Amino acid sequence: MGKILVHVGSQGGEAKRSSLEVLSHVSRKIAGSDDVVVACVFDVNPGRLEQTIGEYGADDILMYMDPAYESHLNGVLAAGLEDAIRATAPSLVVFASSESVKDILGAIAVNTGAAVLPDVVSFSAGSGFVEAVRPVMAAKSLARVRAEGELIFVSVRSGSVEAIKNPKNPGTTTFEAPIKPADLKQQLKEIIKAADETVDLSEARVVVAAGRGVKDEVGKRLVEELAGLFGGGIGASRAVVETDLFPATAQIGQTGKVVSPDLYFALGISGAIQHVAGMSNSRMIVAINKDADAPIFEYADYGIVGDLYTVVPLLIEEIKRHK
Amino acid sequence: MKFLVCIKQVPDVSGNVNSGRMVLNAYDASAVEAALVLTEGTDSEIHLVLIGPDSAKETIRKALAMGASSAVHFVSAESDSMDSGSIAAQLASYCAEIQFDIVLCGKQSQDTDAGLTGGMLAAHLKLPYATNAVGLAYQDSYDGIVVTRQGDSGQEILQLPLPCLVTCSNDMNNPRIPSLKGIMQAKKKSIDARQFENNSLSSTRILNYEQPAAREPARMLEGETEEKVTALVLALVQESGIF
Ligand SMILES: Cc1cc2nc3c(=O)[nH]c(=O)nc-3n(C[C@H](O)[C@H](O)[C@H](O)COP(=O)(O)OP(=O)(O)OC[C@H]3O[C@@H](n4cnc5c(N)ncnc54)[C@H](O)[C@@H]3O)c2cc1C
Repeated sequence: MGKILVHVGSQGGEAKRSSLEVLSHVSRKIAGSDDVVVACVFDVNPGRLEQTIGEYGADDILMYMDPAYESHLNGVLAAGLEDAIRATAPSLVVFASSESVKDILGAIAVNTGAAVLPDVVSFSAGSGFVEAVRPVMAAKSLARVRAEGELIFVSVRSGSVEAIKNPKNPGTTTFEAPIKPADLKQQLKEIIKAADETVDLSEARVVVAAGRGVKDEVGKRLVEELAGLFGGGIGASRAVVETDLFPATAQIGQTGKVVSPDLYFALGISGAIQHVAGMSNSRMIVAINKDADAPIFEYADYGIVGDLYTVVPLLIEEIKRHK
Repeated sequence: MKFLVCIKQVPDVSGNVNSGRMVLNAYDASAVEAALVLTEGTDSEIHLVLIGPDSAKETIRKALAMGASSAVHFVSAESDSMDSGSIAAQLASYCAEIQFDIVLCGKQSQDTDAGLTGGMLAAHLKLPYATNAVGLAYQDSYDGIVVTRQGDSGQEILQLPLPCLVTCSNDMNNPRIPSLKGIMQAKKKSIDARQFENNSLSSTRILNYEQPAAREPARMLEGETEEKVTALVLALVQESGIF
């Protein structure tokens, strides 16, 4: 296959776990062949990136280090990636499927003439083709898909493959951003971060997700306290985001984010397929719902039928006793 | 102002997918709604484009009944086998024929969840674009739009000059239900139906479908609330790998 380019998403000099999963997976798959894994990363400062990316198995690193990458802007990231693709001439480019990647994947596929398989949960590549499995119909069904071409893009859902260290001593080349924000017609005016968004949801090992059963500030504090015990992320269903109790950034599901933590708490969530589509990959799922017939129990490993306002305070106390 | 809204007919995924019930893609419905809100009370035009089988006309009528002005329907019985790349190429060649200021698409389609077409179309047309929009408003001077998009962490507020392309999330609005009057008016609106040969080759295809592995049903914890909680925490300590 020759060269495989892996895009490593990062923030503030730290690589995202979802990208390390992808990098590690590709690196282990090609072990023993002549293939080479090149990582490309776009950030302001290198931080620990070089070290981490080496640990997870890149043979070469293209470091695009530039203030231009301070905030996500599709034209800036797309130009950087297209530059990395020209420089590497890979047959395969693999991404972790983040919002930033979703924002540019289609455009760079057209600009580079690539075939693209987005949001897959597994894939295998051969000469001139990739076969992959991707959830469709709000994850009710899995489609086995095939792409053919000289250049193929694959983006992988977080939590689909494992991040296992596979240390190498990569060579590093540093570049500036080929396109800067000022070169673009669009302008980024502002980024609004939710005040309570301290843990990156798609990276968290524990996610506590609230549904419409969480009705007020009291309930919200229970969610926050439970998440806080684990340093976990706070998720939400669409219905509870609509009440403005939780920020839209917390939404998990078909419209929202796809998460796959080790432990997922669904508190007062009914389990609509559009919600389940974003969390069914979680390793262990706990559902607390007052309705014994709520569909969420079909996806959970453990279920408690009860009022979350009485169950969760007890749960918090009991967990504290074990910490 | 002229809007072009790209819409798709999809299986209703909330119910039984095999029922054959087809609906307007929810994300596209939000795109139509966004265009309606922005054009309210002006003489702007909202033109629809759909690629799909003859029976997808029903979906076009629905969007016209919501209030869109006119539509073109590229009729193809084989549209299901076209991938995002060939759909985007076909849309791009149509866009080259017409005038528009703003192209709106759904951010993904409910059936395939691929989310590629909008960005691909923008690249073909060399338009500035934004995806996953949850808010849309005119700039004060009407020579551009302000898009709020949901990013990885937080919401990004962008200014785009016209012409541009935006893909819409269903978190942006609640699409209106067509009124009886709207439905009657839609019957008189023109749908330009064109048979077409798909001559752009798809570089990807679906080989088959599989059922996801069924999860074991949940172990329901029994007893008084305290007992349930104790049993749960014990299981978490032993099995989650978190403690
Ligand atoms: C195209 C499309 C995309 C969508 N994308 C998403 C998405 O990304 N994410 C998403 O979440 N949804 C999404 N939805 C919406 C989805 O269909 C559901 O409407 C939504 O997930 C319901 O949220 P919920 O479970 O919180 O609310 P409800 O369905 O109202 O459920 C509330 C639950 O809380 C329980 N409850 C109430 N009070 C208590 C209490 N005191 N203690 C314990 N339990 C209690 C009830 O028994 C009930 O089961 C989408 C829909 C469409 C059409």
